[in-house]
Amino acid sequence: MIDPVAAGLVALYCIVMLAIGVWASKKIQNMSDYVVAGRSLDFWVFTMLMIGSVCSGMSLLGVSGLGFKFAWPTIWEQIAVPLSIAFCIIFFGVKMWTVAKKSGYITVQDYLAHRYESQQSLRALSAVSGIVVSMIYLAGQYTAISIVLMWLFGLPHWLALLLGAAIVTVYTVIGGLYAVAWTTLVQGLMLIIGVVIMAPIVIMAAGGFENINQVMASVNPTNVDPWVTGAGAVFTPTYIVSFFLLLTIGLACAPHVINNILCVKDVKYFKWSPLIAFVVYGIVMFLLKFAGFAGIVLVKDGLVTLPDVKNASDFIFVYGVQAALPSIALWGIFAVIVLAAVMSTTDRLMLTIGTYFSWDIYKKILRPDAPEKKVILVSQVSVLTAAVVTLLLALNPPDMLVWLIWAGIGIMFATFAVPLLAGLYWRRATQQGAFSAMLLGLVASLFFGGLSYFKINIIPMPFHFSFYAFVISVIAMIVVSYLTPPHSEKVLDETLTGWYIQKQP
Amino acid sequence: MFGLPLLTIVAVGGAVLIILIALILWGLNFKEISA
Repeated sequence: MIDPVAAGLVALYCIVMLAIGVWASKKIQNMSDYVVAGRSLDFWVFTMLMIGSVCSGMSLLGVSGLGFKFAWPTIWEQIAVPLSIAFCIIFFGVKMWTVAKKSGYITVQDYLAHRYESQQSLRALSAVSGIVVSMIYLAGQYTAISIVLMWLFGLPHWLALLLGAAIVTVYTVIGGLYAVAWTTLVQGLMLIIGVVIMAPIVIMAAGGFENINQVMASVNPTNVDPWVTGAGAVFTPTYIVSFFLLLTIGLACAPHVINNILCVKDVKYFKWSPLIAFVVYGIVMFLLKFAGFAGIVLVKDGLVTLPDVKNASDFIFVYGVQAALPSIALWGIFAVIVLAAVMSTTDRLMLTIGTYFSWDIYKKILRPDAPEKKVILVSQVSVLTAAVVTLLLALNPPDMLVWLIWAGIGIMFATFAVPLLAGLYWRRATQQGAFSAMLLGLVASLFFGGLSYFKINIIPMPFHFSFYAFVISVIAMIVVSYLTPPHSEKVLDETLTGWYIQKQP
Repeated sequence: MFGLPLLTIVAVGGAVLIILIALILWGLNFKEISA
């Protein structure tokens, strides 16, 4: 039976999000307003947008689920994911913002097209790759929304998916990045406060931090080790290294994260935003993982029984809160917090897909003479189409939410990291090198990802699948760049290409 | 301590500490150059 207080809280949250969308829609005058909020974001809105874009369904459900399943050896995720925000700002943000401000970029593809002097082929490949990986990632987010709505209201999976997607699609379509940024500010604050209150309650219900570790060690001594070794072990040191790179660099160059850089009002915000984002999001991530550890104790003591579904471990935080908190109304608050976390990423992903199609493919390649209002309309239709397609993908979720999301990040890592880093820091990197690196990275990550997902053991794979594709991408960039002529000094100077982060005045 | 082996505390705590120091140094050395 649906509790009226819990339902009321969820409804109120959704109404507030829609109201922000309506308010934001009045600020949209042109494509720059719709895509980069007129480059007007101040320090806290930007920092929270970065946290909110990275913090997703994985953070609240997948992180706890992973901790519940593999214990302390997964703790590196808690460092790598918050670090990705700092990496993005420092290694991509400072330079790219400076060039974008001068040249009027509104997507990362504008930078790639300028740096590699490729207005069509590289732009198109990058935009299509961005759309594909964003859709895989988005399917994982919808799964998280449905987990919450299924749990709280007992809704069927498809209906839960439809409801969650409808709300987030409406405010993203009408309000663009203004709506995404301001809803994320609200969602981010709710998430931080909620996790800081809820996770310790779950940890205390399991007897406290020390007791949890002792119980975990009694179940299996390797549960409290920082890594594991031996046959059949997943989180071995080699795997953790690739996992760390995947999360830190892969998330940093993810289209829905890196594009936030272009929305900032002033470069001085990059001074302390890396540290603040790392600390704030780090606290949230560690608390969530500890709540997953607490789930091991709660299940062992019979206080929690997970549902009989394929992705049961993803429910551990939700069921932990249910066991620790006596009131259904408080579950409603918790549900709102999870929805906030998930929607803060979902909206950004959908807008990214819409922008990449409407700006990089429609406006820059198919219809260069299209008026701005038409481009905005195409963007809105693209967001809607992306929502429908990813809903279909999310109808049959994999065993663990986190694996689906990692697959998305892994493909982003292998596809975008090399062309972006080489473009910014290596003057010898060429258009053909970037194209080969991106294409081979994408194809290789899909190949190795397929081998990993379907457990096809053609070759031993001690690293995360994306690492192999990343290495192939690096080799392609170096070899092809040296075989092709370099770009003009003028373009390299205009795009601040070179072995520095900040050019000294 | 905390029911954890020393190796876990040193490895995880050390990594967090190094990153915090690096990010503080970044903030202290960042130059606000206008575009």
